[in-house]
Amino acid sequence: MSIQIHTQIPDQLWQQAQSMVEQGWINTMDALVTEAIRRYVESHQQELSEHFIKEDIEWGLHGSD
Amino acid sequence: MAQIKAVVIADAGPIIHLDELHCLDILNDYGRIIVPETVWLEVAYHRPQALCAQVNLIRQRAVDFSPQVNALTPLYTLHAGEQEALHLCVAFKDSLLLTDDTAARLAAKNLGVTAHGTLGVLVRAVRRASLSKSEVLELLRAIPSQTSLHVRASLLSEVINDVERFTK
Repeated sequence: MSIQIHTQIPDQLWQQAQSMVEQGWINTMDALVTEAIRRYVESHQQELSEHFIKEDIEWGLHGSD
Repeated sequence: MAQIKAVVIADAGPIIHLDELHCLDILNDYGRIIVPETVWLEVAYHRPQALCAQVNLIRQRAVDFSPQVNALTPLYTLHAGEQEALHLCVAFKDSLLLTDDTAARLAAKNLGVTAHGTLGVLVRAVRRASLSKSEVLELLRAIPSQTSLHVRASLLSEVINDVERFTK
């Protein structure tokens, strides 16, 4: 399953990305965006873990289920 | 007030960590605690005594496989146990996933599955009066020395402070 997203990207960054696709560094713009997001997510694991822990504490103490 | 989830699907982490703290029985608050087959085998290998604790864990194999979970598996690098747990969560609508794995939680969010971890259910025990505040505080303080759950020390202190300040 995949979802379609609509986003705004700075012009220069977009041109750099397009150039990388055209030069064959990556197959498609979709693949580039997916890879960029994956890398961001992977690099923020600790922040995410901590975010989830804080979410858990909020639910644990103040949730209703 | 939201209804307590009738079905809990447990990943290995929370079962192991709660058993390390000898408080796995706080899960008795839930109707059914399902342990996916792959997770069961994982716990049996790493912490077999958890499967003999005073809580009714139901060993169950996923039979319906969600294409959404299959699609998310490479994106979040989900392990076999997490995958099976998510397949079961999709099959049992409105279930609760117990996991301490960040990737599994991200995938759960994507699937619209509610997920919480060890610290959440531990702290919830105070609100649900399954354990007293002082009992939970003692368990939280024992996490670094008694469990294999890794939490940054300053974050754990914040959690302890939150629980100390908690009043019903």
